[in-house]
Amino acid sequence: MFRSLKLPPILGSLVCSALMLAACSGPSAPQQQGGNVPENNGFLNIYSARHYDSDQEIYDAFEERTGIRVRARESGAAQLLETMKAEGDASPADVILASDAGTLWRFEDAGLTQEVHSQVLDAAIPPHLRDPDGHWFGLAKRYRTIVYDKSAVDPSEVDEFMDLATDRFDDNICARSSSNIYNLSLMSEIIERYGSEAAADWAEGVVGNFAIDPAGGDTDQIRAVAAGACQVALANHYYWVRLATSGASSDREAADATALSFASAGDGAHVNVTAGAVAAHAPNREHAVAFLEFLASPEGQAMLVSQTKEYPVVAGVPLPEGLMKIPEDLKQSDLSLDVLGRNQVEAQQIYDRAGWP
Amino acid sequence: MTSATSSFTLPSWAGRLPLALITLVLAVPVLTAGLSGLLAGGGETWRHILATELWSTTLTTLGMLALTGGLILAIAIPAAWLVTMYSFPGRAVFEWLLILPLAAPGYVLAIAYYDLLNISGPVQNALRDATGWGARDYWFPDITSLPGLCFVLAVALYPYVYLTARSAFTTTSICAIDAARTLGARPFSVLWRVALPGARPAIVAGLTLALMEAAADYGAAGFLNVRTLTVGLFRAWSSYGDAAAAARMALILLAIALTLQWVEKLQRGGAGVQATSKRWQSLDRPALSPLKGWLAAGFCALVFALGFGVPIIRLLWIAVETGDHGRNFTGALTTSLLLASAGAAVAFIVGITIALTARRRGWLSWMAKVAASGGYAVPGAVLALGGIVALNTLGLNLAGGLALVVLIWIYAARFTAAGAQPMEAALARAPRSMGDAARALGAAPAIRVWKIDLPVALSGALVAALILFVEILKELPATLMLRPANWDTLAVRAFAYASDERLAAAALPCLLITGAGLLPVILLSWRLSKARPGS
Repeated sequence: MFRSLKLPPILGSLVCSALMLAACSGPSAPQQQGGNVPENNGFLNIYSARHYDSDQEIYDAFEERTGIRVRARESGAAQLLETMKAEGDASPADVILASDAGTLWRFEDAGLTQEVHSQVLDAAIPPHLRDPDGHWFGLAKRYRTIVYDKSAVDPSEVDEFMDLATDRFDDNICARSSSNIYNLSLMSEIIERYGSEAAADWAEGVVGNFAIDPAGGDTDQIRAVAAGACQVALANHYYWVRLATSGASSDREAADATALSFASAGDGAHVNVTAGAVAAHAPNREHAVAFLEFLASPEGQAMLVSQTKEYPVVAGVPLPEGLMKIPEDLKQSDLSLDVLGRNQVEAQQIYDRAGWP
Repeated sequence: MTSATSSFTLPSWAGRLPLALITLVLAVPVLTAGLSGLLAGGGETWRHILATELWSTTLTTLGMLALTGGLILAIAIPAAWLVTMYSFPGRAVFEWLLILPLAAPGYVLAIAYYDLLNISGPVQNALRDATGWGARDYWFPDITSLPGLCFVLAVALYPYVYLTARSAFTTTSICAIDAARTLGARPFSVLWRVALPGARPAIVAGLTLALMEAAADYGAAGFLNVRTLTVGLFRAWSSYGDAAAAARMALILLAIALTLQWVEKLQRGGAGVQATSKRWQSLDRPALSPLKGWLAAGFCALVFALGFGVPIIRLLWIAVETGDHGRNFTGALTTSLLLASAGAAVAFIVGITIALTARRRGWLSWMAKVAASGGYAVPGAVLALGGIVALNTLGLNLAGGLALVVLIWIYAARFTAAGAQPMEAALARAPRSMGDAARALGAAPAIRVWKIDLPVALSGALVAALILFVEILKELPATLMLRPANWDTLAVRAFAYASDERLAAAALPCLLITGAGLLPVILLSWRLSKARPGS
């Protein structure tokens, strides 16, 4: 009954693996990519709260152009922030990337970014899409939109987010959780435009109009509208575009049944950005600036938005396949985007009080 | 425990030093996170949480634990009882199939079930197509609800109880069961009055692990948007940017874990779970009548389908349907296997030390166990936070190779409890008379530990090592925070795609995690099905 005195083989292999791991001290070398990698001109460490495969292609392209080897660490934004705080001035981070301006404001607020003055960046990126002091730069644009059922809703009924709080949409709204950063950023602008009280009233109105409890992501809300569970939903424009260009016919049908309204959040369509910053203690500051400048170049812009279906921030860069042109007469919000970060805590508090899960 | 303490005494420094070190290593992440929560977590965010959601999230968590626990028992005990005690069609296959859900992380099941059952998913679409109903013309169970979450967690976590219950039923004194049968007790009565009381400590131990895992779950609850404490904790962290307030919420999770641990200890009492008879012979499995046999097979098939078959087939289906495969996963697979092996090895060594000393070292041993349980009930992200706070206090920075060391450390702090449990159970079931015999024969204490306790503990070692390996393979939040650049695991890739709403691309790494975990789990099943003493 005590025959198993010998270590089972699996344990032996576990120990071996542990030893192997101990043997390779330090982070692994960056993956070698195919093609011509020029000689090593140093390193660039990117901390990214974005999660796109296309980002890897961007890193590869940058390596190929400059010979600077890219090492990337992807994580959730809040966790990345704590990690960087913990690393302190020994942090290897050179560049911080995030898919939201409010997130970068938090890094700036924690003293984890530094001022960058680059004529290339300043010339390429419109002023309201970057930090006035150069702490972060918007690199690709997204719109929070109202997706509506084409057969049930007239576009004029959804040209403002405020419309959603009216009785017209009683039992007809689908939305995801309020703690999602896109909903927080939208609320941050509404607070700025209308004031806290009106923003709270709006949240209560919308919660009262929910057709189903918030769950899932933006894509799920669009599908729910297409399925007839509600008439309108909140979603970023690119989720709809991805459905419209999907390989699955059911996805394209969901996009066919619905349409987008670039609704106003008080003074024009609600804009947010994917943004980048140079880390406060960047060991490779020059490489970091070069990387941001690469992202603001026509080539970098095209790569940045090809898969995500965001809009380029640099004028004249062609739109990615499948992305519709923005109506020329569309009024776009020119809110300074650091407001999205500043108001974020209040935004969540208002949602919590309104009972938006 | 009391009688053992007097009969076994190692030189005090020899036994206590490693254990004290282990306790320290396990407790530091929990304690630093807890302390930073206590000291710095009381600001505006905390007051807002207190005013709006603390009670509701706590109640939701308690309700979730109660319902999940009930469901787990309702699934695991009949399943374990049927495959151990009766012959019915497919029994030998179900015996190991029923362990497979152990390989599928809760968040993977949540993704699959949400995709399948949400209002625009294939099930409801088919229903509407078949009936001509509109989306609002009928009631359909909502997977994004507390019961929905409990269902997902129960089908993901029942193997913990299935495993412990099965091995307890297998090793419960056959005499008692035979006697009960001979005396004409009806089968239910044998289960209720003989087998369950004997197996209760093991079942409760398994359930305690499962519930601590459920309390710390963020992946499934977050995806299904059920506001448990853990979900609230992550909201405090990400929306309010207040890691200290999040750590303070973790203290409530810790209190729940300690309560569970205390209840587990209490119900075990002083009696121990040791076999009262050494007559471990194979048990006759009476054949069930054809109808009952097929019902039993149907029940086992349903459990397997819900915990594994349906969600995994759905994931395969999405991955094939859209052709969105994401990038190459070989690097992530290698990293996953490497980290899981290394983490499992460390946690295993820590776990076996705890198990070996569990009956011997009194309060220190209990402290080690409590430290391990505390880690098991707290989300990995909070432990990771505690780890980096501790590092900072030491004046060290989380960079390069040190990050790997910290990651392995956090794996050990998080999962040791899951590894120690099967080995403790093995020790607890062995008759204490063997130790007494060795003592009577004049064996020195250290020899007794080496020659008797270690081999006994190792009989639970395979289960322990495999559970550790699979758990770490599935781990997400601590890996996400602590891994160095270019050390993406499969779970990290799956998370990245899922958070970008590319479920199809997420399906492949999810399947790979399950696949990589499957091999050890099959090994485990095979080993367990041969583990019947005397057969």
